[in-house]
Amino acid sequence: MRLTKIMTTLLSGLPTTLTLLIFSFIFASVIGVCLAWLSLRRNPVAKGLARGYLGLVRGTPPLLMLLLAYYGLPKLFLLVGIDINDWAKLLFGIAGLSIGWSAYLSEAFRSAYLSVDPGQYEAALVVGMDASHAFWRILMPQTLLIALPNVENLLIGLVKATSLVYVIGIMDMYNTATDLSNQNQGVYQLEIFVVLAFIYWLVVLAIEWGFRQIRKDYQYVTV
Amino acid sequence: MLLELKNLKKTFKNNHVLKGIDLAVKEGEVIAIIGPSGSGKTTMLRNINFLETADAGTMTLRQKRIDMAAPTQEQVLWTRRHMAMVFQNYNLFKNKTALENISEGLIFGQNKSKEEAETLASRALDQVDLLDKKDFYPSQLSGGQQQRIGIARATVLNPDIVLFDEPTSALDPELVGTVLRDMKRLAERGQTMIVVTHQMAFARDVADRVIFFADGQIIEQGSADDVFDHPQHERTQRFLSAIAEDY
Ligand SMILES: Nc1ncnc2c1ncn2[C@@H]1O[C@H](COP(=O)(O)OP(=O)(O)OP(=O)(O)O)[C@@H](O)[C@H]1O
Ligand SMILES: [Mg+2]
Repeated sequence: MRLTKIMTTLLSGLPTTLTLLIFSFIFASVIGVCLAWLSLRRNPVAKGLARGYLGLVRGTPPLLMLLLAYYGLPKLFLLVGIDINDWAKLLFGIAGLSIGWSAYLSEAFRSAYLSVDPGQYEAALVVGMDASHAFWRILMPQTLLIALPNVENLLIGLVKATSLVYVIGIMDMYNTATDLSNQNQGVYQLEIFVVLAFIYWLVVLAIEWGFRQIRKDYQYVTV
Repeated sequence: MLLELKNLKKTFKNNHVLKGIDLAVKEGEVIAIIGPSGSGKTTMLRNINFLETADAGTMTLRQKRIDMAAPTQEQVLWTRRHMAMVFQNYNLFKNKTALENISEGLIFGQNKSKEEAETLASRALDQVDLLDKKDFYPSQLSGGQQQRIGIARATVLNPDIVLFDEPTSALDPELVGTVLRDMKRLAERGQTMIVVTHQMAFARDVADRVIFFADGQIIEQGSADDVFDHPQHERTQRFLSAIAEDY
């Protein structure tokens, strides 16, 4: 089997992998920010809610999270009268990964927020800014910059975690590769998996490049 | 009087840091506050602009009376709009350029347009001779330059009073002079200032009044010559001779 055949077959799974990656990352970030916000409240109920969610989610293996999302979410939604049984599998994949990564991202955001120098906030107040301007103009940008290395690592981890969606039968790049390997009775197995690894590696390289650009743009902002 | 504090008290847990401070500041007056470490100098400044909330005390600023133990949010913002502060470790916004550091308060504290704020900020940078650094981030500036921008950031707001908390004590010795020079210029323009400092020469040269502060109280005050050359209290004498050994 020619290398180009392997390449084109595997690349046909790439859009699904990237869709999983991008949407899971966006949703996980949004949920993560909300969780971080909740866990930083003084209100013990808000705090407890966030802590409980974090504890449960962080203690669940990503593979299991996908299975729970796939089999559990429809039941959960049915309880409130919403039928999501016919949702595309991809959506369950995104849901499972988003829930899992939201917990990690929320911890990255929370710890970054806590390590912003409190003097920055005070300086904003004494020049007359109100708390919300101080947050959006000073604290938030610095929080994001501090969180950046952790976020990068988590995103790269998510690239690899997308391959777990084979458990719910999504044809992502990884599943496409195992399929191809099975079709050929495993004859070209090594070639197939080397090519697969190469493509994942390129995706990670692109992410690293992107983050390097961000770091370069903000190289003089030492938070 | 521009500013009057009455019976300012502040306790952390059971540590009585400020034990009833009375202080009156005239328009244009430059007050230097000296005193040992831990005596509550920083805490006093932070209570004046409500970075901390006092346990008791009243403040009268421009005829407006404020209960320092229970200020309304409006009073807090109003007070901060009439005061500015220069921090010991500068606290320039790390994600903003020199110019943005100065214009930020004008735009978001005083609702000035971006254009007007930038014009004013450029002028303020020029006054501290750092206009050529306007697009630099704090990390690209020396401590002395950062502090002079800190001063510009405070004065551009046209405050009634500028509070300085040991503005030169984090600086390398060779940079102290440049910052003190900018502070002196400011004093000569008639800016009311309260300066916590260990720079005795500056206090002698610029301050209208020197206050010796210890154990959360004003122990003695007067002209620089009075306090430095003829201290009345044994506590002041001890402090001054300890300082003299250091320098
Ligand atoms: N946020 C705080 N919580 C608890 N204690 C505090 C706090 N801030 C200050 N203190 C205590 O208040 C006392 C006075 O501190 P303060 O910083 O006002 O002293 P200072 O005169 O400015 O000293 P220095 O010359 O070292 O700056 C100290 O005992 C300090 O430990
Ligand atoms: Mg202090």
